[in-house]
Amino acid sequence: MKDIIITLIIIAVKTAVYFGVLLLHVAYATYFERKVIGHIQMRLGPMIVGPHGLLQPIADMVKLVFKEDIIPAQVHKAIFSIAPFISLVAGLTTFSVIPVNQGWYIADVNVSLLLVLGIAGIGTYGIILAGWSSNSKYAFFGGLRSAAQMISYEVALGLSIVGVILLAESFNLNEIVQKQQEYWYGMFLFPQFLAYFIFLVAMFAETNRTPFDLPEAESELVAGYFVEYSGMRFALFYLAEYVAMFCMSSLATICFWGGWTIPPILVKAWPWLANIPGIVWFLLKVYFHIFLFYWIRGTVPRYRYDQLMAIGWKVLVPLALLNIVVTSIIKYIIS
Amino acid sequence: MTVKEILNKALMIEILKGMQLTFKRLVSKAVTIQYPFEKRKIWPGFRGRHAFVRDPFTGKDKCIGCMTCARVCPARCITIKREKIDNKMVTTEYKIDASRCIFCGYCVEACPTCALVLTEEYEYSAYSRDEFIFDTEKLLKNWDDFVKKWPEETYFNKFWQPPGIDPNRWPKTKKDQTPIPLRGEALIKAQEQKQSQAQKEEKSETSNS
Repeated sequence: MKDIIITLIIIAVKTAVYFGVLLLHVAYATYFERKVIGHIQMRLGPMIVGPHGLLQPIADMVKLVFKEDIIPAQVHKAIFSIAPFISLVAGLTTFSVIPVNQGWYIADVNVSLLLVLGIAGIGTYGIILAGWSSNSKYAFFGGLRSAAQMISYEVALGLSIVGVILLAESFNLNEIVQKQQEYWYGMFLFPQFLAYFIFLVAMFAETNRTPFDLPEAESELVAGYFVEYSGMRFALFYLAEYVAMFCMSSLATICFWGGWTIPPILVKAWPWLANIPGIVWFLLKVYFHIFLFYWIRGTVPRYRYDQLMAIGWKVLVPLALLNIVVTSIIKYIIS
Repeated sequence: MTVKEILNKALMIEILKGMQLTFKRLVSKAVTIQYPFEKRKIWPGFRGRHAFVRDPFTGKDKCIGCMTCARVCPARCITIKREKIDNKMVTTEYKIDASRCIFCGYCVEACPTCALVLTEEYEYSAYSRDEFIFDTEKLLKNWDDFVKKWPEETYFNKFWQPPGIDPNRWPKTKKDQTPIPLRGEALIKAQEQKQSQAQKEEKSETSNS
């Protein structure tokens, strides 16, 4: 009994620290985004609050928390109030199995990759329910689009990872990272470049980011599924989106970039690289993907709805299937 | 489709080109001017808040009530009332409605005595419309504010000599206008000159009597 309580306390502390740090990263991801987008447009981004606007996320948070939480009269109140929490909780839960360093994780699940994909899919429910319960045309369309988009791109996302699973022979994220160390190049990025490309595109669609941000297309749907939301609930949706971005970036890092490790060939060439803690590499790789999100948001305009569907079903899914077939054949021949 | 086009599409050349451009912009310097903290340089000929030039020697404005500015104003925002006192024209009321002004600067160009100017001051937002109706007092105060704010020892004649117009075509009054000193050494020198002149006149007057 005593052991159980102690383990529970350890897990609780671990979770609190892990998610505290994660949410801090998420808060500053918004700052990072505004800076990157600003500089791409030759602006400066936030500059007033704190030195170089460093306290801007905190100011935003305080503002959103103290804003009035308006629940419109025509909405389905229960679902309307629950929807943002579904999104956020789904986003945060995926992080419970994502290892950020050697042995730095909350839970080591055997099928963690499947768990991440499954829970990330649940996040869509939050969006759909929010859109539906809002009783508004724009929100409804946002929700519908989100549902269609998620279904089509979840397929491509799942199929693109199958190549990695074939090579790693495991669903466990820790084992996937360790498996990559057995090759001299240390990353599945090289044999699985096609899968990585598909994963990247599907990643953008999964997190509703530009160029696939149809569920929240400002120019046509005002804000999409969260038009009717305000105050803290609105902030939760935002938070969920950024957590999802971090989740997908971490997944890409772990599956294709070797997680917290660096290629053995580099360590051989410069042995001092091995002294740098793994979390640094992990964060660098994750922030590269986060930067990629912003960079593409600053470059590529939004796709049309039919183009989105065509890319998903006519390009990505066949390519992913081709990748699986080729990978399996090569793996069979080699082994 | 040719092979090249297919390759272009498959490798997303266009998108990569776009991303290259945005990355170049990302690392280049931002063009933002952080307005309340840093301000743009004001170019000569800028037309800002209206002011009456305060003659440093008499302490009054130089308006003679000729009505030229009111006549030339396309927005009809200048109202002048004048009276003949002792066979001399005196303006009793001079009003500019700055909220209707279009800042064309015609009034300044037309003014024969160079009494009215448009200063370089542009931050004068207010909470009521009444504050934008400038009468003589307010116009003189605007001038004082302007002189206080711009610390250079400048001669304030660049505003009433319209740029871009051949100086030969200026009216005679504009051509003859000598620059008036605003502040600093130039003003002190001018005042001393004036004083010594006045003293001389007094002396000659006393000696005459």
